[in-house]
Amino acid sequence: MTELMHRSEVAVSVELQTPDMTLNIGPQHPSTHGVLRLVAKVDGEKITEVEPVIGYMHRGYEKLAEVRTYAQMTALVNRIDWVSGFASEVPFIVAVERLTGIEAPERAQWIRLILTELFRISSHLVFMSSYPLELGATTPLMWALRERERVLDLIESVTGGRFHPNFNRVGGVKPAAGGGSQTKKISQDLPAGFFDQTRAAMEKVLHVCDELDELVTGNELIKARTVGIGIIPADKAIEFGLSGPNLRASGVDFDLRKVEPILPYDQVDFDVVTAQGGDCYDRYVCRLEEIREAAKIVLQAIEKIPAGPLQAKVPRILKVPEGQVYVRHENPKGEFGYYIVSEGSRMPYRLKIRSTSFSNLSILPWLLEGQLLPDLVAIMGSLDFVLGDVDR
Amino acid sequence: MAERLGALRWVAEFGTPRIYVDRSAWVETLGRARDEEGLAFFSWLSGIDWAKDAAVGDGVADPDALTERFEVICRLSSVVSGDAMHFLAEVPKDDPVIDSIVSVFAGAAWHERECHEMFGIDFRGHPYLAKLYLPDGFEGHPLRKSYPLLSREVKPWPGTVDVEDKPSLENPEVGGTS
Repeated sequence: MTELMHRSEVAVSVELQTPDMTLNIGPQHPSTHGVLRLVAKVDGEKITEVEPVIGYMHRGYEKLAEVRTYAQMTALVNRIDWVSGFASEVPFIVAVERLTGIEAPERAQWIRLILTELFRISSHLVFMSSYPLELGATTPLMWALRERERVLDLIESVTGGRFHPNFNRVGGVKPAAGGGSQTKKISQDLPAGFFDQTRAAMEKVLHVCDELDELVTGNELIKARTVGIGIIPADKAIEFGLSGPNLRASGVDFDLRKVEPILPYDQVDFDVVTAQGGDCYDRYVCRLEEIREAAKIVLQAIEKIPAGPLQAKVPRILKVPEGQVYVRHENPKGEFGYYIVSEGSRMPYRLKIRSTSFSNLSILPWLLEGQLLPDLVAIMGSLDFVLGDVDR
Repeated sequence: MAERLGALRWVAEFGTPRIYVDRSAWVETLGRARDEEGLAFFSWLSGIDWAKDAAVGDGVADPDALTERFEVICRLSSVVSGDAMHFLAEVPKDDPVIDSIVSVFAGAAWHERECHEMFGIDFRGHPYLAKLYLPDGFEGHPLRKSYPLLSREVKPWPGTVDVEDKPSLENPEVGGTS
């Protein structure tokens, strides 16, 4: 008995040891948006080092591009970031058009603009549903996805696909499929009633933004989890090549739609949304405001879209002249670009895909160092990455 | 600007200059581009394999005139003006080594790891040059032109059997709608 007493006294008096522990997170984890594995070294609740392990979804698109014609590649490039497939088709097609000197007709360019913005709304609504879910709020998921479904219906009525439109052609867009999933008939233009349905859908989207404002933006629990957490200073964001809302939330006023528009963005009126704090909350707020701006762009675009053909004259066999070109575009997640090295054949000699999420995620080891483990999911989710976009 | 940065030669194509620098001046040039020219945004880094023979796909336009080499290419841009430049350095195939720019741009770490496994180019001074996408035991460098596309070796492309004849240069009128 006396010996036992003695032992317990010893245990209490010795300082608690917290040896470093290696914690494996993933690759199957609901908050990782795909298959991402994190190997974290933790000291108690504090993360001392984290190494993301990626490549579970590597499909080798850059090699596959070397054995495919340019027309065949459009079917693949929209699979890189499947949440905004159309937005990753556009810079590829425009790059090919630059090399060949073909220009898409104006109407086709406006259709590209409308669809890009619809995909931006769709992509950000996925964030609006998944991010609160990762923080423990389940209701916004239902509300945001409900309105996203309307946007996907619109997209389907034009392109025939919900995720992988494969709708761009060199020199224009594909003649649209009309009537949605029930009646598959080929029309030569946007389906009848598209503009009215778009107006109605945008009204709903703007309404759900207001609802999300009440439900999430002002929510104290959400704020407690996100305000001041995961701060990225502007200089670090630039050094790591972060772009899109992740960069703008750090106070950098940079949007490729304003700086280097490859679609007629100069003819619509919209604001670039920025925030100053660079924390998780600011990244959330930026995306919510961008949905409103995107809806504003769509509503203006359907008023301004000119009549005309959808396709320019393109030779049956597209041989792309020798040259090297890089075309980038503001994807919902940031700068998305393609560097094409053409040697004058039907297939690219080399295609470098600058995918947004790859650069956006590469800041993670730096960002998570010294953070608390419970904040890991909040920080990771706020970067809004898609693993298909990371792994290519 | 190209002369100021000590370019060997430069080409302006589609609005963005391609600046060729010597690989010994790689890190210094990129550092100066950031500090003196304001190109602080690290966009991406990758490689190009210039080879006379390609195991898959179409090769270069003029194999006889080609000097076999790797090129490391890095794009820097500015988030103030939108200006951008592509920096290229030649890396010989028998000595595929170049200095790492991680000390200048921390964001280059993953890009250099990818380039290392895909092309077999060594980045001297990289803190952790492990494989990024590929599994640990993977042999070969997939983006080299000498590397075959294994799925095509096992099963030929079914395109012509599957749907319709593909148009070719010899037979341009066959198949397809556009």
